[in-house]
Order: sequence, then structure tokens, then C-alpha cells
Amino acid sequence: ASFPSVVSTRSKAAHFDLKTYWTSLMVQINQKLDEAIPVQFPPVIYEAMRYSALAKGAKRAPPVMCISACELFGGSRLAAFPTACALEMVHAASLIHDDLPCMDDSPSRRGQPSNHTIYGDDMAILAGDALFPLGFRHIVSHTPTDLVPEPYLLRVIAEIARSVGSTGMAAGQFLDLEGGPNAVGFIQEKKFGEMGECSAVCGGLLAGAEDDEIERLRRYGRAVGVLYSLADDILEERIKTEGGNDSKNKSKSYVKIYGVEKAVEVAEELRAKAKEELDGFEEYGERVLPLYSFVDYAIDRSFSVGDAIV
Amino acid sequence: KGEEEKEKSAFNFQSYMVEKACSVNKALDDAVLLREPQKIHEAMRYSLLAGGKRVRPVLCVAACELVGGREAMAMPAACSIEMIHTMSLIHDDLPCMDNDDLRRGKPTNHKVFGEDVALLAGDALLAFAFEHIAVSTADVSPGRIVRAIGELAKSIGAEGLVAGQVVDINSEGLSDVELEILEFIHIHKTAALLEGSVVLGAILGGGTDEEVEKLRMFARYIGLMFQVVDDILDVTKSSEELGKTAGKDLVADKVTYPKLLGIEKSREFAQKLNRDAQEQLSGFDQDKAAPLIALANYIAYRQN
Repeated sequence: ASFPSVVSTRSKAAHFDLKTYWTSLMVQINQKLDEAIPVQFPPVIYEAMRYSALAKGAKRAPPVMCISACELFGGSRLAAFPTACALEMVHAASLIHDDLPCMDDSPSRRGQPSNHTIYGDDMAILAGDALFPLGFRHIVSHTPTDLVPEPYLLRVIAEIARSVGSTGMAAGQFLDLEGGPNAVGFIQEKKFGEMGECSAVCGGLLAGAEDDEIERLRRYGRAVGVLYSLADDILEERIKTEGGNDSKNKSKSYVKIYGVEKAVEVAEELRAKAKEELDGFEEYGERVLPLYSFVDYAIDRSFSVGDAIV
Repeated sequence: KGEEEKEKSAFNFQSYMVEKACSVNKALDDAVLLREPQKIHEAMRYSLLAGGKRVRPVLCVAACELVGGREAMAMPAACSIEMIHTMSLIHDDLPCMDNDDLRRGKPTNHKVFGEDVALLAGDALLAFAFEHIAVSTADVSPGRIVRAIGELAKSIGAEGLVAGQVVDINSEGLSDVELEILEFIHIHKTAALLEGSVVLGAILGGGTDEEVEKLRMFARYIGLMFQVVDDILDVTKSSEELGKTAGKDLVADKVTYPKLLGIEKSREFAQKLNRDAQEQLSGFDQDKAAPLIALANYIAYRQN
């Protein structure tokens, strides 16, 4: 009986104006992030933190997904902003550390010099070490407690900490540095799936979603996170074969190991899986549309976010 | 007065520290399990379980018990604080930071596991500290746990521990560092986390706002004292006695209290801080305050 309404939600999603939705959210997120990291003494550390957390090229995908997931269940955007900002801070912290010479040794990130290239290795380590706790502190001090009860906040904090920790993103980075080629699926899940999963789950937790709904968001977010990185790799590979620049991405990529064709196949499977999960949210009507359109956007890249918008 | 003296001497600090450090070590061992990927978890455990005096976690538990809480209420937070302290040491020892080979009498983390794993193990300890306190704190209201997490985050970030490290790095090799800057470094680099330890214990143990603030002041004094004593030990003790590289401050051309004030004046300053710290405890039940008083004296008179 639910089939027709799922079809109609999916077709509505195809016409959802994601660009406007995403752009307007980004403006709000950027403003809140800017306010969340004021420059104090000693200024150099705040500047280093701001350099990466406020990087212009960033699409703010984790915060946007967190807010969309919160709004899906009727949660307020105001309840989600502090956690959304925290996700971006924690994400930035982990990217700063990943780029260091003793890790991926990346001189640039999002088309700009990486943090340590500008501020030095020592400040880059400390900027990361400071962005982690600032994220948690921001959640605690800025989430309106009349909108989000404290037990929910504790679950959000635990979720973020687990995602970046030794069995999450840190595990992915570790295997990327040391693991064999067979580990590539696991690495993509951990390095990119975790952030998507965590962002979606945090949004649901803030809105007080049921446990089965949280698990659904978990599977959806993980699929979308992996899909984004896979689609990035496919795009990069295509540009390369068309005679573009050499790949600067040093982490092990699925495309490099299994080829473009197989990668496209896996991407389509992830697209289908992510949408199937969303079909389970049909009772929430049109509030699920942004989450559907993230899935297609991951592959189609029908417009440009980030660089085009300041 | 005579009674009070007797109570103080009746308190056996040695056995108190041994007992508490034992509970802390057991809790730490149980908290960070050897999971996949093994090497990161080994690296986390290597530094976390390397010994150390567990001053911070014991302060946390002692503050909790002083305001009427039970040890178990503060134990996850106490472990989280030790995880963060350990993380800051692992990162501090890295070649691009202090470049140390020796810590707590053992090769530093990156010497054993490599720089990449050491950096990740530190990050993982930092993240896990927050997960642990959020998930494992029992019999405390969620409101108090949230407040404790906020305090912890503040004490270790750019307004706390990291601020001290940054100013410390930037002042290396400068000849005209003032006492004010030196104090900024220590208040942030050392005192902030000690303050966090005591304040978290007091919050989780159910302390009133007034009690929490009194204990905060106590912690600030002993935090600064901790560093003054550290500076004195750095110039008066050998590496073997300290379990870490001695004379490091001199080699790195760091400004220290002995350099600014001389050894004698530094010792006097440490004693004044100890008195100021203990004054903050005067309003509490002296029996219950005995562990914190003894801890302050221990920090003041320690030999390593």
C-alpha cells in the first residue's frame, strides 16, 4: 500500500531545489562557525583553527546532513546548529592531522595550502587538538536545553567521539597508512562513511528519533558518505584520462584498485541502498526530500557548492 | 587544635595514593581494550598504562568524595582526564614538538610505534575521553555530566592546555619573557587540566556551586605550584631521578621560575602557593579534606 507514496516522494525529490536549500543553509552555518571561533590570545592558534574550519572550499556536507536529518523528525534547526558546527570542527581537526608530513604528507587541501604548510607542523597538531574539544564544548554551551534534553546531548557527544575515534576515522586513517590493498573497502567506510553516518545520526538524536530510525539513518549516512568519496574518485579518474592533472589524492582509492567500471557499479548500488533506507521514512512526507536529493547529488554533481558560494 | 593535628597525621597518604592509583589503573585498563586495529590500541595502552603517578585522576576522585560523592561517580571522568593528559604528552613528545625520546622512564610513543601511529593514538585517546565520560558515568544526573564535559573541553582546548603549549612554543629562545607570560604558560599548560580534574570531581560528586568554585581556586593554586616545583626539579635532579630528560628546559632555552626568580625565591613562591591552596579548603570538613591537603603537600614536596 505504501508503494505509490514512495514513488511520489521519490519523484518529488527529483525536483527538489537542493541548490537553494544547501546554499542558504551554508550561509547560516558559515556565519555560526565564524562566531564559534573568535580570535583570542594567543591569536596564532585561533587563526590556524579558523583557517581550516572556515575553509572557503568546504561544502559543509556534514553539518547540512545533520540539520536535514534533525528537521526530518520535526526537530528545530536551532537545536541542530551547534552540533552541525561541531561536526565541521571535528572533521577539520581530523583533516589537519591527516595532511601532516608524518601522515599523508599533503601540501594542499581543497585547493589551498594545507594547515601545516602555513602554520607549521607543531601549530597544525595543536590546532587539531584544540578543534576536537571546541566541538564538544560548542555543543554543550550552545544547544538550547529547552529544545534538546541533556540525555540526548550525551548520546550526540558519544556518537561524534566514537566516529572520530580508534574504531572509526582514526582506524580508517591507520589502515590507509599501513593496510594492504584488500583493505580499501574498509578504509572508505571508515574514512568517509563514518562522517556521513555520524552526521545523519546526530541529527536524528537531537530530534529525539526512535532507535530503529537512528539505525536507518546510520545505514543511510554511511552509504552516502562512501558514495561521495567514491564519486569523487570516479570524477578524478575521468578527468585524469581526459588528460587533466595527475591525481593528488594519495589515499588508497577503490577506483585505482578495481577500475572505473566496477566503481560506477558500486556507486549505483550505494545510491539504491541509501534511497531504500529513506523509503522507510515516508510517514514524514516532504521533509525527507533533502536527504533523497543528497544521494543523487553525490553522483550527478548537477551544480557546484562551496567554491561558487562565499 | 591538638585533635586536628592528630587527624592529619592519622591520614595515611601513602596508602591512600597506592589504593586510589590502583583503582584508577584498573579502571583505565578496563576502559581501553585491545580492539581492532590492534596497533593503535596497543599504542594508546602503551602510554596510558605506562605508570605515572595518577595525580590528576586521584585529585578528581578526592574532590568528588570531599563534596559527598562516591568514587565510582568520578571514575570515568578521572580516566578521561588521564587519557587527555597522556594524549598531550604523546603529541608533545613528537619530533615536530619537543622531540623527546624518553617519558616516564620508557621510550616515547613515537619511538616505539612511529610518528603516524603516535599522532593517531593521541587523537583516539582525546576522542575516547569524551565518549567514556558520556557513556560510562553512572548514578550522576545527565545535567551534571553535560556540565562536566563542558568544563573538560574548556580546560584542554585553545582556552586551556593548548593555549599554554602555543605560548610556550612561541616563547622558546626569547630572552625577555616576563613573569606574566611565564604564568600564562603554566596556568594554561599545567594548571588548567589540574583545575579540570578537581572541578569535574566536584561537579560529578554533587558539589554546590560555592563548593565547586572553592575547589577551582584550590586547583589553580596547586596547578601553578605543580609547575614551579617541576621547574625546580628540572634544574636540580638527574634524568634518572625524574624518569624523563632533565635539564631539558635549559637546553631548549625555555624560561623557567628558577631562571627568573632564582632557586630560593622559586621555592618560597611554591610554599606560598601551597598555603593559598590549603586556605581554600578551610571551610570543608577537615577530615574529608585530608586527601586534598596531603595531595597539595605531596605536589609541593615531591622529588620527581
